[in-house]
Order: sequence, then structure tokens, then C-alpha cells
Amino acid sequence: MSSEIKVAIVGQPNVGKSSIINALSNAKLHVGNFSGVTVEKKEIYLKRDDYDIRMTDLPGIYALNAYTPEEQVAKDFLVDEDYDVMVNVVDANTLSRNLIFTMQLLDMHRKTVLVINMVDEIEKKGGTLDEKSIEKLLGIPVVLTSAKENRGVEEIITQIIKLHNSVLSKNKIYYNEKVEQRIEELAKILRKSPHFKSEDYSRFLAIRLIDRDENIYKMIHDLPIFIEAHNALEKMYKDLESEFDEESTTDILANERAAISYNLQMETLDIKEENESLSEKIDNFLIHPIFGLPIFLFFMWALFQLTFVLGNYPMNLIDSIFIETSSFLADFLPKGIFNSVLTEGVLPAVGAIVMFLPNILVLFLGLNLLEQTGYMSRAAYLMDGFLKKFGLQGKAFVPLVSGFGCTVPAYMAARTLKNPKDRIITMLVLGFMSCGARLPIYVLLVSAFFANQNPGNMLFYIYIGGAFLGLIVAKILRTVLFKGEPEPFVMEMPPYRFPSFKALGMDLWIKTRMFLKKAGTFIAIAAMVIWFLSSYPVNNTLVQNYNAKIEQTVDINKKMNLKNELNAKLLENSYLGDFGKFIQPVFAPLGFDWRLSVAVVAGLSAKEVVVSTLGTLYAMSGATETSKGLVAKMRQNVDFKAAIALIIIIMIYSPCLAAMGTFYTEVPQWAWRIFYTIYPNVVAWLLAYGVYKTLALMGY
Amino acid sequence: MKTISDLKIDEEAIVQKIMAKEPVKGRLLSMGIVKGAKVKVMAHTLARQTWDILSNNTKVALREEEAHSILVKGLHE
Ligand SMILES: Nc1nc2c(ncn2[C@@H]2O[C@H](COP(=O)(O)OP(=O)(O)OP(=O)(O)O)[C@@H](O)[C@H]2O)c(=O)[nH]1
Ligand SMILES: [Mg+2]
Repeated sequence: MSSEIKVAIVGQPNVGKSSIINALSNAKLHVGNFSGVTVEKKEIYLKRDDYDIRMTDLPGIYALNAYTPEEQVAKDFLVDEDYDVMVNVVDANTLSRNLIFTMQLLDMHRKTVLVINMVDEIEKKGGTLDEKSIEKLLGIPVVLTSAKENRGVEEIITQIIKLHNSVLSKNKIYYNEKVEQRIEELAKILRKSPHFKSEDYSRFLAIRLIDRDENIYKMIHDLPIFIEAHNALEKMYKDLESEFDEESTTDILANERAAISYNLQMETLDIKEENESLSEKIDNFLIHPIFGLPIFLFFMWALFQLTFVLGNYPMNLIDSIFIETSSFLADFLPKGIFNSVLTEGVLPAVGAIVMFLPNILVLFLGLNLLEQTGYMSRAAYLMDGFLKKFGLQGKAFVPLVSGFGCTVPAYMAARTLKNPKDRIITMLVLGFMSCGARLPIYVLLVSAFFANQNPGNMLFYIYIGGAFLGLIVAKILRTVLFKGEPEPFVMEMPPYRFPSFKALGMDLWIKTRMFLKKAGTFIAIAAMVIWFLSSYPVNNTLVQNYNAKIEQTVDINKKMNLKNELNAKLLENSYLGDFGKFIQPVFAPLGFDWRLSVAVVAGLSAKEVVVSTLGTLYAMSGATETSKGLVAKMRQNVDFKAAIALIIIIMIYSPCLAAMGTFYTEVPQWAWRIFYTIYPNVVAWLLAYGVYKTLALMGY
Repeated sequence: MKTISDLKIDEEAIVQKIMAKEPVKGRLLSMGIVKGAKVKVMAHTLARQTWDILSNNTKVALREEEAHSILVKGLHE
């Protein structure tokens, strides 16, 4: 018989909670060197001896007075859910401030293990930690770990199991006599209610109430004891505040906890203060008042140069592998539907998208470095003043820049914004941050139409231009719809940390696998659908007419032309051709033919589908020139103005279904959902049309 | 009384009182910026709009409004 232990992993942000779980299991939780990496709770199962251990990784939380939506997730879990053991992770580098939160957790009086992580960094500075004294002073087991070096983590499990099998110890945190008196008094009142019979629970609630915790206050609001508790509380607030000469009882408790924590650190941690750490030396450059921003822009520019240049080497190779394979298979496999679906539908489509994998990986590597090194919060610091001009704040930088990777996690990351207005504005403009899946379309179009200019620069302009447009829209939304100042900006800046190559490699590998899986399933199926829709119905009289003509012709070139003409006519008369011509009037003012129109609409399902659809449609319309890559075909079939209009549409219009779904789950109000679904498409069309017309006037 | 936004870069001081309203105040407290804590200004942006403060071995980025709400006194006052 195995027994289950439920464990909650809790601690301030960026202390290494997710890293510890990764070190303990084969989980691949997302890790990054800034606050607010984990924004939803995640469950991980472990098996040790006879125990099934169910660990819940919670978003980092600074204090039980929850502040942001993702912190609320953690708080709700801690207060409402059922778990056997709490593991409180703290960062050895910032022990005393972390312990302030530990005090709040200890108020709950549950089975708790204190994990002091990042001891490697303390040791490197020549410091030592006396965990035995902390154990004695707090009365709970303490484990020293380094998730980075995989040290000490198994001991956490040992302690969890030990605690699980023992009775809860009697130790408590004792506050100042005057405070304790009030806690007891209030707890006594609470215990009159059948919900709060337990000694520990009533004490915890009493402390929370004296700490002015609004959630807990709401909790007792509808109970019969409310009036009595409320009156007692009001008196306590007044008395305590005058006795301690503080503005609020919250401050009294905070000062108490801070004093205990500070003394704990002084007694147990032996470390010299550094003169100037490496982080500060780096910061002298990277957040320099004058050069900081230009350096940041340079990094972004360099990233897009690399994305194009490095990505381009393997691109032609991958492209030709797919072209060779499909022409080989076309001859090798028996003629028939299967042959055609595979070699005209699926392979060109999947090839058209897979060839951009290297570009995407370079982009993701850059974003990953931004997350792992600690530069993310510096960039937020640098951008704060600029973002403020557009009615946003520095913290919004994190979701915005994550949007360059993928819009789905970026919507989730917006949870770290406290103010609901800030959050909705950020989410509404997140689509303007071009995601990694749009990269292939840009690379394709830039390669086709800007080969002579510096293509990396073009990519940079597209991405930065999109971001800029998003900020302008944010400003408009802020002025028109959401008056009021953005939320205050307070953000922790962790020390720089050298990213581990293993973690970077792992992340790229996960991205590659996900991408290939998507190409092999979703994209392939979409391609099949596109192929069938564009191959049927076959107009037999048309085929017969042309075949008769072709037979009569002797000239090889003329024969070829007739064949192409037939293919084009068949495609035009297919279901997809009908659909394309049906929607084309919408896109005709932008110079799109029906194929581009279909590709744009299909792109609403996923942005990869734009390129894969173009791959299929252009492969079919010119069956005799399969040897030519998609880039060349685009150049032949699309005019310059339309290409620019297409880039603008892609930059702005609705993101993929997955992203829209995420927005819908994160934003419950229907008015916002409807607005979000419509406005980007209108803006996209209008802007594309404006630019198309302007270019036409300029004589392009 | 002086506030953090009156300090120069590299200047140190002791926190006296936090004037910010909740919940910003609570957030500052839980980041270790409490009464009696030593703070040091590490950097600020050119327009002095955003500040980089070190306290209790934690670096915190704040806006001018928040920096202005933290009353401090010099180390030897
Ligand atoms: N040197 C060192 N770095 C560590 C250690 N554990 C984690 N880190 C790094 O610390 C940073 C934060 O790690 P995470 O696991 O994302 O922290 P978290 O507590 O889950 O953070 P949130 O989800 O934001 O609350 C990452 O850059 C890790 O690589 C450690 O033991 N030593
Ligand atoms: Mg995490």
C-alpha cells in the first residue's frame, strides 16, 4: 500500500521553487531569472519508496497580503486547499527578507519544511549558514540546497516524509506581548463559530485579521460572530496603533516580523559584505543612464540580424531536401490520390514551414537568454519611463517581450500586472508583438522582396514597428477607455546569473520537438484539407478539352503552357478556389489574389498555416516547376505593394486560435472579448489599405 | 525630511517611514524595505524617473513616485 502526500511548494518569487522541483523529478517546469516566471499552479508527481508525492508548484508570492492575480492563485491555494506538508523555499542571498514571509506562513502552524536554496552562491562569497540554529530558533526542519548543483534536494523529500509521519510540533512564532494578547482575544471570539473550532486555525485567522487581510475579512463577513469580531477588531486597531505609534496594525506586524527575521539572519549567516559584486559592475554598463537604452536596442537589432543570417544557412538545405524528397516520391510511388496528397499537398506545406525552424530557434535562444540571465528586469527598468508615456509600466515589458516568442504564455504573463486596467490594455495590444510563428512569413516575404537590402534590418523594423504600433494603440486605449494612472512600478532585479548550457539546450530541444510535432500533425492535416479542397471537384470537360489540345500541339513549350493553364483553371474551379473568390473582394483592395486571401484567412487557425498554405497553393498551380523554391514563386506571383500589405496584415490581425482561446479564458468580460476579436482585424485592414494606396501613388 | 529621491547615486541612508499607500507599502515591506533598513541608491535613469535601490541585498526598481514616498535619514544623523 502506498500512501499519498500532498505538498505545497511556496516562497517568494525567483527563489528557485520550480528549479527544485525540476531537480527532484523529470519535470521541465519553466525557469527564469526574474520574478513571476510561474504564473499558474502546476502539479508534479514523484514516487519515493512507498509514497506518492503530489507536489504543487505555486507562483512566487511576496507576502500573504496578495497583490497580483498570480499571487492570489498562490494565496488561495495556501489558505483554502488541502495539503499535508508545506515546503517554504527561501533564497540564501536574501535570507532576512524571505524570512519575513516565512513568519507569515508559520502563523498557519502547519507541517513545514524550510528550504534554503542557492547555498552555492553564499559559499562562493565565502559565507556559511548555520542551519541547525535556524532549526532550533524556528522549530521546523531546515534543508540547505542548491538546485543548480543538484545538492541537498533529496533531503527535502526525506524531511517531507518524516514530517508526514509525525505529529505537528508545538512551536509557534510569538509576537510582542501586546499583540499576542489581542490575537488570543480575537481567536476566542472566532472559536465561537463552528467553522473555526481549531485552535491553530482560529489563531491564524486572528493574526490575518489584525494584519488587515481583506480576503479573510470577507470570509467572516457573513457569519453570526461577525459583529462581535468586527467591533473587537476596530478597537484593537485603534488601541494597538496608538500603543505602537504606527499608522496601521499591518505595519506593527511587519516591523515585528522584520525584526525577528533580521536577528535570525544575524545569528545564523556569516558573510562579509561585498564591495562591488560582478552584477553591479555589469549594471554599470547595462543600465547606464545614457547608454542603457541604446545598448538594449542594439541587442534587439543584433538578435534579428542573427535570426536572419544564422537561420538562412540551413534554410536552403532543408528546402531542397523537401523538394527533392517530394519529387522523388512523386515518381517512385504509384500514381494516384495518395501520391498527390503527399507530394503536392503535405510535403510542400510541411517543408515550407520546417525550413524556417532554424530562424525560429535563433529567436527563441535570444529570448531565452533574456529570461535566464537576469537582463529581463533591467530591460523593464530601462523601458519603464518610455512605457509610462504610453500609459503602461515597466512590468508590462515582460509579457510584451514574451509576445515575440509566443502570444499564449505572454497572455498568461500579464497576470503579474496588478491593476486590471493595465492588464487588459497590455493583453489587448499583445497581438501587435509579432510571435515566433509569424517569423516564417516575414522571412519568406523579406527574402523574396528585400533580398538586396539588409534583410535582418527589415525583420528588426517589422518587429519593432509592430511593438511601436502596439504602444500607440495602448496610449489610445488608455486615453479613451481607461482613464487613470497606471499602477505603481515596484520590481525586484535579481543578480545576473550565468545560464546553464544544459538548460538552454533543453529549452531549444523542447521548442524544436513541439514545432516538429505541430508541423507533422496540425500543419500536415491542414495541408491535406487545403489539398482536397483545392483538387476537387475536377471539371472533366475542361480536362478533356485541354488534353485534346495538348495532344495536337507539337511544340514542347506550348504543351507546357497549356498544362499550366489547365492546372490553374482547375484550381480556380475547386472548392477552395470558390471560397477564395468569395472572400477575395475583401482583400482585393490590398492587391491580394485569391490564394493570398485564403492563406491569410487560414492563418487565423495558426500562423504557420499561412506559409504552408502558400506552399501548397503555389506548388499546385505550377506543377511543372516544382524545382523552384517558394521564395521565387512568391516573387513571381505577388507584387511588391501587395507583399507590404500582407506584412502589415500579418503584423496586426488576430493571433491564432490558441491565443484567442487563452485570451477568452483570462478575460471573462464579453465586451472585451468581442472588442478583442474584431478591432485588430479592422485596424490591420485599414492600415494595409492606406499603405498599399500610398505605395501606389509613389509609383511602385 | 529627506526621501530616497533626494539621495545621490551611491548614497546610503536609513529608512524612517514609508508614506506610500497600501498595497504598494506592503509590497515594499515584503521586499525588505522596512523601517530601520539600510538603503543605497544604485542608479536612476536619465530623467530620474525610475530608480534602482539596494536594500537587504535586494535590488528593487521603483518609480520616482514610490522613491519619493520613502522617508530616510542619513547614516550618521
Ligand atoms: N546559483 C543558483 N541559481 C539557482 C538555484 N536555483 C535556482 N536558480 C536560478 O534562480 C532563478 C529562479 O529560478 P526559478 O526556479 O524560476 O524560481 P521560482 O522560485 O520558480 O520563481 P517564480 O516562478 O518566478 O516564483 C533561475 O535563474 C535559476 O536558474 C541555485 O540553487 N543556485
Ligand atoms: Mg517558478
